[in-house]
Amino acid sequence: MNGVKSFLVWAAVAIVGAVSFAALALGRGESVNAVWLVTAALSVYIIAYRFYSKFIAERVLKLDDSRETPAVRHNDGLDYVPTNKWVLYGHHFAAIAGAGPLVGPVLAAQLGFLPGTLWILAGVVAAGAVQDFIVLFASVRRDGKSLGEMIKMELGPIPGSLALVGVLGIMIIILAVLALVVVKALTASPWGLFTIAATIPIALLMGIYMRVIRPGRVTEASVIGVVLLLAAIVYGRTIAGDATLGPIFTLTGPQLAWALILYGAIAASLPVWLMLAPRDYLSTFLKIGTIVALAVGIYLVAPPLRMPATTRFIDGTGPVFSGALFPFLFITIACGAVSGFHALISSGTTPKMIAKESQMRLIGFGGMLAESFVAVMALTAACVLDPGIYFVMNAPAAIIGSTAADAAQVISHWGFVITPDMIQQTAADIGEKTILSRAGGAPTLAVGMAQILGSALGGKTMEAFWYHFAILFEALFILTAVDAGTRVGRFMIQDMLGHVYRPLGDTQLLPANFLATGLCVAMWGYFLYQGVVDPLGGINTLWQLFGVGNQMLAGIALLLCTTVLVKMKRQRYAWVTLVPTVWLLITTLTAGLEKIFHSDPRIGFLALAHKFSTAAAQGTVLAPAKSVAEMQRVAFNNYLDAFVCGFFVLLVLAMCVFAIKTCMQALRQARPTSIEIPPAGAAQSAA
Amino acid sequence: MSIHHPAEDIRDAWRRLLSRGRAVRQAYKQVFGIPDYERYVAHRMAHHPDQPLLPQNEFYRRAIAGKFGRGGQRCC
Repeated sequence: MNGVKSFLVWAAVAIVGAVSFAALALGRGESVNAVWLVTAALSVYIIAYRFYSKFIAERVLKLDDSRETPAVRHNDGLDYVPTNKWVLYGHHFAAIAGAGPLVGPVLAAQLGFLPGTLWILAGVVAAGAVQDFIVLFASVRRDGKSLGEMIKMELGPIPGSLALVGVLGIMIIILAVLALVVVKALTASPWGLFTIAATIPIALLMGIYMRVIRPGRVTEASVIGVVLLLAAIVYGRTIAGDATLGPIFTLTGPQLAWALILYGAIAASLPVWLMLAPRDYLSTFLKIGTIVALAVGIYLVAPPLRMPATTRFIDGTGPVFSGALFPFLFITIACGAVSGFHALISSGTTPKMIAKESQMRLIGFGGMLAESFVAVMALTAACVLDPGIYFVMNAPAAIIGSTAADAAQVISHWGFVITPDMIQQTAADIGEKTILSRAGGAPTLAVGMAQILGSALGGKTMEAFWYHFAILFEALFILTAVDAGTRVGRFMIQDMLGHVYRPLGDTQLLPANFLATGLCVAMWGYFLYQGVVDPLGGINTLWQLFGVGNQMLAGIALLLCTTVLVKMKRQRYAWVTLVPTVWLLITTLTAGLEKIFHSDPRIGFLALAHKFSTAAAQGTVLAPAKSVAEMQRVAFNNYLDAFVCGFFVLLVLAMCVFAIKTCMQALRQARPTSIEIPPAGAAQSAA
Repeated sequence: MSIHHPAEDIRDAWRRLLSRGRAVRQAYKQVFGIPDYERYVAHRMAHHPDQPLLPQNEFYRRAIAGKFGRGGQRCC
């Protein structure tokens, strides 16, 4: 009886999924409702969770509840705490969900809604969720060790150190690109800048409240914080319209870049309780609240997808990022499909809170499915916009010009009909002067969210409020990431410098701290500033560099997972991690090499650098540069980008060699050679 | 068989509600990573009753410093 019931339930889920996909696939020439897209995604998640994750848990990993987890073994009530699985699910999700899944899908929307959706769904099931799940498993079986430590244990000390250098490199690029997203959203937007600036005193007030006035009362402080933030959004409109205050909050891109660099250096040097902690709580509350509101909003409003299923830009000529669908779709959407950064979280605090091994299926695999759902919603929000508006907001000024009339002409010429009036009206609706060339995901998503939330709640008059709310929500957790990431980077730099000269590694020594913080900020600040002044937009370079780095980190994590499976003598099931590893290596190596060597200067770093340096040597100035000096800078930066990209490529190739060597050795052994803490046999023989 | 006094039933229900409320509050704190002194005290009482407890303020200080000390756990 139970079998029949279960069959009927799963058949129903499969049918709902199939019908949704049919609606997406067959609705050519007419607009498809966003509800179909979201429902198709949910059906895929449910089926993948029920069947594939169960297979991995029971057959591949053989999760064993009789084995003690680190949380149970060390239960100290502080770091190691056996936690209810649903509570830990929420906690883990809050830690992995950041700006990544909101930016990538918005950029990839230039290809239409279908390519991004298919990659997000296929990627998360085959690669992303598998990676998060198995890294979590490996860490729990190794007493909660981190990714770097596990690579050192299973692959050797050299790969371990290499991985750490790689992580630092990716970290720097991430910080730069996230900061760039904020700059793009706030340039010449006094309303937006005022609300973001207001978060600094609000966070300080909350920090003091939680520390001095009512110690430990995080929720009280956060409620006060949220109320003040909402007031700042409402009041921001008045500030922006004010004759004296308005211009103070109207900054150019380079001014904002400097402000952020300064902010990063100061914020990362303050005690954590004063700004990082309160801001982090505030952004977590807003993040969860906004994601839930967006999901409810999509179902309530049921907006049509106005972006076509595929656009002509799948051939690689798109204005948002250059390069064909293969391989560039697969590095543009990183988080949401598969994100190497999750390997750091899955081997961070989460493994120290798992109560039972079997719960890793929900936390690791299920947690990533939720992140993927966020990416699907971001894609939806970008695709419910008028495609013309989408391209106005995301194409660089070098292509569409800097007036509404020019932009409308260029974009209408591409086949996405739009008038200057429509552009101006959209800007007016959201309370901004211009929406031209605001690449970076945040503003596009904010307009999409404003339209969805506006139709659900408040109508046209509330759109401007929702727009600035969405910008605030993204900027808030990006600024938290900039602060936290700079600290993480500083500790990594200190670890490395400590090997060169011991006192530099002393985390208690103030000059050593300042040096490492300064180095970290200088590195991401450099890339940020170059991105801001880059006439080609910056995002199309930096985001792809980040995508390559992040996906390579995922490749490295999956190589570790494969090695662990082989060393456990489970090579029969090694395809579970090997297939996504190979796919990631193919796409990222192709993308990495194309970014370096492609002969088209819109794609290849070296080709662009060469074009500009030769022209500069001849004394000719190429648009959009305005002087020979500017040309030389473009050339230098592209050489630098090619170098960073080449570093990532070599790093992943080296890791590949180490992993293959280790696997070959393990295959020759008759017994499992993986190193578990406590050792695999210990629990059984003791029992 | 004693007959239940209605007041007792109400008191029971109230007690159950309170403990349910405590569980919800604890779960909420764990999801958002908010330091939970109540739970810490309960843990120390159960596992290390002989050792001294951290005072409330000191506990919060250490918990926040521990959670964010090296930059914390945040993803892109």
